[in-house]
Amino acid sequence: MNLESFWVVSWVNSIGFLSGLPEWCYAAISLLCIFFFVLIPSLVFIVFFDRKLSADLQARVGPNRAGPAGVLQPIADLLKLLQKDTRSPWGWIESLWISIHSMVLYSSLAVIPLGSLALLLDTEMSAFLPFWSALVLALGTILLGLSQGTVAGWFGGIRVAAQALSGAFPALISLLCTGVRAGGFRWTVLAGSQGFAPWSWTVASNPFQAIAFLVFVMSGLVLLGIAPLEGGQSMSDIHGGVATHLSGRRLVLFRFGRFYGFFCWSVISVVLFLGAWNLPLQFRELLVRAELYPLIGFFELVCLLMKTFCLMMVIVWIARVNPRSRVDQITDFTWKVLSPFSLSALVGAGIWAGWRAFL
Amino acid sequence: MRSKESLLSALLSYIRDVCMGAWSITESCLTAFPYVFRWGDLRKEVTEGYPDPVSSKTADDLPPRSRGLLFNDIDRCTGCKECQTICPSACIHIEEEPGADISKIWVSIFDIDFSQCIFCGLCVEVCQPASLVHTRQYEGAAYHLTDLVASFGRGQVTEEQRAKWAALRQAIESSEVSST
Repeated sequence: MNLESFWVVSWVNSIGFLSGLPEWCYAAISLLCIFFFVLIPSLVFIVFFDRKLSADLQARVGPNRAGPAGVLQPIADLLKLLQKDTRSPWGWIESLWISIHSMVLYSSLAVIPLGSLALLLDTEMSAFLPFWSALVLALGTILLGLSQGTVAGWFGGIRVAAQALSGAFPALISLLCTGVRAGGFRWTVLAGSQGFAPWSWTVASNPFQAIAFLVFVMSGLVLLGIAPLEGGQSMSDIHGGVATHLSGRRLVLFRFGRFYGFFCWSVISVVLFLGAWNLPLQFRELLVRAELYPLIGFFELVCLLMKTFCLMMVIVWIARVNPRSRVDQITDFTWKVLSPFSLSALVGAGIWAGWRAFL
Repeated sequence: MRSKESLLSALLSYIRDVCMGAWSITESCLTAFPYVFRWGDLRKEVTEGYPDPVSSKTADDLPPRSRGLLFNDIDRCTGCKECQTICPSACIHIEEEPGADISKIWVSIFDIDFSQCIFCGLCVEVCQPASLVHTRQYEGAAYHLTDLVASFGRGQVTEEQRAKWAALRQAIESSEVSST
């Protein structure tokens, strides 16, 4: 862990009696900081804009009661859900679900690439770790569906399993495409191979990377069961699937898990294909000359989050104006369209990279 | 399934299907996009096809005894308050005072609150001078509740007007007394 570079550590050390804590304490504090200062605000922001944008696209009004233009609606929703269904006991499978989701959250927060400010861990395998986290998240969701004890829940669980299996393959292959261009799977390597300007992004480097980008985003949506491509949570035919009987705190946790998957996948897509957290070179040099290193990290985080929000909004846009797909159509699409396209993109990207090396 | 097709034509139709799918997604996205910024005609709120040219009735098509919005002809109204008494939803509010002539009542306020009216027609039935009638108008939608109150009164009387009328009445009364 490159904890030394993380600003939280020096901040904690500056408090006299806290200096000299074991490393895991620093890691835990850093994770909590990322959780509360990056993830939760992003969630509130995205939930609000998701609802407003959906309402606009569907010619509705959307939330407009809580606060000016309804900005306090996510908080109002949270408070409402937290006071519902507080007493029913947790079954053991549900406990398993929640512990799996917490573990995924805790472990993948350390590797989620949020710019140099919050990059705790960077290994040769970095780009694969959140990918496995997404699969484990799907496992937790399957267990949740099976724990419902209803047909809708069982079917939801089975569908989530089918989607996760079908989405994993093209996601993995298109992940390899970026590695072929960048020459490694470290976050820093992947980010370093791109620049701030759109024409220096991986997605714009050649047509095969563009295909890989589209496949990566779509297969992530399939893998995690997110809006345009969700079959496991379908409202119309299985009444919300795995979330049928969830209410109160459990629904908050479930929604948070789904949001986390969505957010995480968008961040990774941006880092892999859309120029990561790179700032304009002159601007960065200016900050380096002024020795404002924490500010560099902050601007990198802002840059990354802006791109992420744009990507998420585009996905929401597509999701809200198109009819929901059936689960068999989704898996069919994933196996028959996304997989061949990802494979051809991998071959093309490999040839392209080899050709460039040959030149 | 596609045994009769050649590999190339199968591949081409596959790619065509993918492109058409992508195009249909793009098309629906583009169709919905102006709604985000309320461009052009989307800015103003319109209800299209109202009244429906096929099925809607106009006021003339209504049956003869249909009960539309109420109207009170204040010149014929005697201010007997029968309608206010019989109204089951208490939506009629009347205030009155003696007018210039002793036989005339000055109906200063005659308000009908259509947000509470149930259009039962009892007020029209009890109206002795037949000043309160149902019109054939039925489109009473309004943006605010206060807009639903229909006022037919003659308006409040000023203090000096009241004194003037009182003197006038006094004069008429005294002249009548003297004549008898």
